[in-house]
Amino acid sequence: MPIETEWRDVDVVVVGSGGAGGAAAHAAAEAGASVLVVSKDPIGCSDTKISEGIIAVRGSGEDSDTEEALSENLRVAGDNLNDPAITEAFAEDTEAAYDWLRRQGLRPTIDDAKGTAKTLPIALGGHTHRRSIGHRNGGIAFGHAAWNAIIQGAGVDYLEDAWFLDAITLDGEDDGDGDGGPEVVGALIYDAARGRFVAVRTQAVVIASGGLNTLFFPKTDGMRGNTGDSFAVAARAGADLIDMEQLQFLPFCITYPPAYEGLLAGEPATAGFLGVLRDAHGKLILDGVMLRTRAECSAAIVRAVAAGKGTARGGCYLDLTANVKAPRSGPYFETFLFTAIPRVMATVRQAMGKKAAKCQESWEVRPGAHYMMGGVRVDADCVATTDDGRATVRGLFAAGQAMGGLFGSNRLGSTSLSEGAIFGRRAGLSAAAIRPSTASSENRQAAIERIRDGYASRLGRDGNESPSTLIRELQKECWERIGPARTRDGLEIMRARLASLRARAERATISTETLWNQTFIDHIELTNMLDAAEAMTLASIDRKESLGGHVRLDGRQASLLFDKPRSVVIRRGADGAWQVGHVAHPRTPLRQLLVYLYRDQMRKVKLRMIRLLPLALQDRILERRYIATMGRRDAPEATTEGASA
Amino acid sequence: MKVELVLNRDGVAETIAYEYVPREDGERPMALDVLLQAQDTEIRDLSHRYGCRNRTCGLCTIDINGRPRVGCRSRVREGDTLSAQATLPVLRDMVVRRDSIARQMRGRLPDRVRGNDLDVPAPDDYHDLTACIECYACLDGCPMHARNFIDGADQRDEHDAYRWGNPFSLLKLQRIRLDPVATAQQKDDALEVARDLGLDACRDCPGCKCGVGIDLKHKVVGALLDAAG
Repeated sequence: MPIETEWRDVDVVVVGSGGAGGAAAHAAAEAGASVLVVSKDPIGCSDTKISEGIIAVRGSGEDSDTEEALSENLRVAGDNLNDPAITEAFAEDTEAAYDWLRRQGLRPTIDDAKGTAKTLPIALGGHTHRRSIGHRNGGIAFGHAAWNAIIQGAGVDYLEDAWFLDAITLDGEDDGDGDGGPEVVGALIYDAARGRFVAVRTQAVVIASGGLNTLFFPKTDGMRGNTGDSFAVAARAGADLIDMEQLQFLPFCITYPPAYEGLLAGEPATAGFLGVLRDAHGKLILDGVMLRTRAECSAAIVRAVAAGKGTARGGCYLDLTANVKAPRSGPYFETFLFTAIPRVMATVRQAMGKKAAKCQESWEVRPGAHYMMGGVRVDADCVATTDDGRATVRGLFAAGQAMGGLFGSNRLGSTSLSEGAIFGRRAGLSAAAIRPSTASSENRQAAIERIRDGYASRLGRDGNESPSTLIRELQKECWERIGPARTRDGLEIMRARLASLRARAERATISTETLWNQTFIDHIELTNMLDAAEAMTLASIDRKESLGGHVRLDGRQASLLFDKPRSVVIRRGADGAWQVGHVAHPRTPLRQLLVYLYRDQMRKVKLRMIRLLPLALQDRILERRYIATMGRRDAPEATTEGASA
Repeated sequence: MKVELVLNRDGVAETIAYEYVPREDGERPMALDVLLQAQDTEIRDLSHRYGCRNRTCGLCTIDINGRPRVGCRSRVREGDTLSAQATLPVLRDMVVRRDSIARQMRGRLPDRVRGNDLDVPAPDDYHDLTACIECYACLDGCPMHARNFIDGADQRDEHDAYRWGNPFSLLKLQRIRLDPVATAQQKDDALEVARDLGLDACRDCPGCKCGVGIDLKHKVVGALLDAAG
């Protein structure tokens, strides 16, 4: 039976229903647009929902916190690869975004003394101010907010169990204002639950469908649905991708048992004053873990593994035992762990046992893919842009994990939930303001039908390959070659493997079913994963030095102080061939940079000195430190929320 | 380890025996481990949902021996039968159509509350209800939800929403009633919606069971019944 097509007319299509998609849909509808949300997983079931639920809000913890400080924190952490216009927009909007989330039902704990939302007692790594707010139930509370924003329905319609296939573009007519380039005229969707295509005549598509961590399954803590759709769809529509080599790996993920593989086992910030990393033989490979970035810790582990000093499962040991051994400060550390990251500690106990959960033995850990920092190249209003800030495709927008430019090479904890709400709203408003396409209705109809017929012709394709098998093969290759440790040789092999997997994907068997066609779904996702992996491979080849989330075992370490910040841009030409370009970024003023680096060094030196003190003295100093942030143990402050992100 | 998988294709259910091969000695697999391995070996086009593998996203609920379980954190034993949730229509294999549950809340949630003080703390019960991961295990044995299928066919309205409610929808409504930011009118409206969804069916029901341990019987159903008088 041939597959049917349902036609719709909508002002704005939003792809994805998580933190960014929910905010985009709501904002566009509020601005008067008719909105269709397209989600392959049920509404709200995204990385936002499974996060730790900690959000950065400027000024929430200290009155001295400024927009300039927050913006600069992001840029220093991101090695200046960030777009300053985007970090400034972020710093400007955190409070408004948090209020919006609360209007959707997000309820923080209120600090009795201040009368406002209570922040975590410490500034998370890389933040110069306390500004991170934890929430009971973690990200689930944010999931409810996104759900409410979409399900409520004022001006927002949605499809779940629906795969967004492509944004359809045409060259617009130049009506004298110089914007005669390509523009969005439609969108094609596979509605698996109803067994049909949905063809949409629209002028705006907001891509908010998350990251690509499923390329690295099962070595990831993210949602299965993150198959790189955002980047693949955007690149096929003609958008630029930026910083595609910059994927954030969590350094401390569980290695065993299989059901827990890849899940989070704590953060550098929760390693305590005395937490260290050791190789398989117990030799110290990184001290002062507490003050290190995720990228530094991941790099230490993968370098040890590459040198043959890792465990059989490709990990190292996170040793927190010294924290709990001390008689006075030890109990504070235990309390800290179980109040700061209760959900993570429950997972650690289930996977590694009680003794491990009490930190009486080291944890075997390995990096896991977590968050895509690169993505669709956009401006501060989420418009997909190219060189000189020109729009690449009129009517194409990206927000949340799908976008690049905000985090550069390293994302600070608690910033992604703010990112989703802030740029989701910005994208929604931008999309609602787009004027209808100038293309003739015949041309538009023909363009949409052409794409639809292409997808329809895949159904019933005979072949000798299974899409789901190819996905597993691709995932293995990705971990080996574009994972947390990369080399020139490995990347070149990856290119060849990608070419061969693409050829085999052409020979995949796809059934004729219309309702929930699993092989068709797998094939769509496989295609997107191949595109996303290709972009990541090309960017990783181009960046020859190690920087942030990109570790080149065969390259030097880039320096924030001495290297000119420059992003890698990946795009597809008119013929579909991949192209590599670059964009330079302004630097943080040298004086400011030196102050940051000096402070960071001093904190590390102090921490190292504490480790070298006689144990009794060390114990008393640490006790004082814990009391300063947590309060005395006999009157413990109720910190029920997390300190990771 | 032998398990039975009930596959649903073109409206026909077929039970397949699958031999799970442990990956390491002593492994006690979860239901999701079994489904992933079956997909990687013998049933390449197996359809099943999953997301976070950490009991948070609510997607991988299936029935184990006829009872709803969160698949990523439910261990499987020799001879167990894994099938799609019996409380919702099957799309394919282990995948059910969930959407008609959420759709019944359209137009029934508070929206655009402005001017209220957002800095008022919510009561503990509000947070207890927010722990809901939307796994839909609570549909099992719910007399209100069962009314949707009385004649063997779904009773969905023109928007594809079920006519009659369920513990999940009641939880969403009770959350509004507990929310300090919601207006008195919104709280009254939430109770009215609960009545309209068939709250009366709860009066003779021994109580519902939550997949993640929320006290639905007292904190949701009991609270709404008390308010309804």
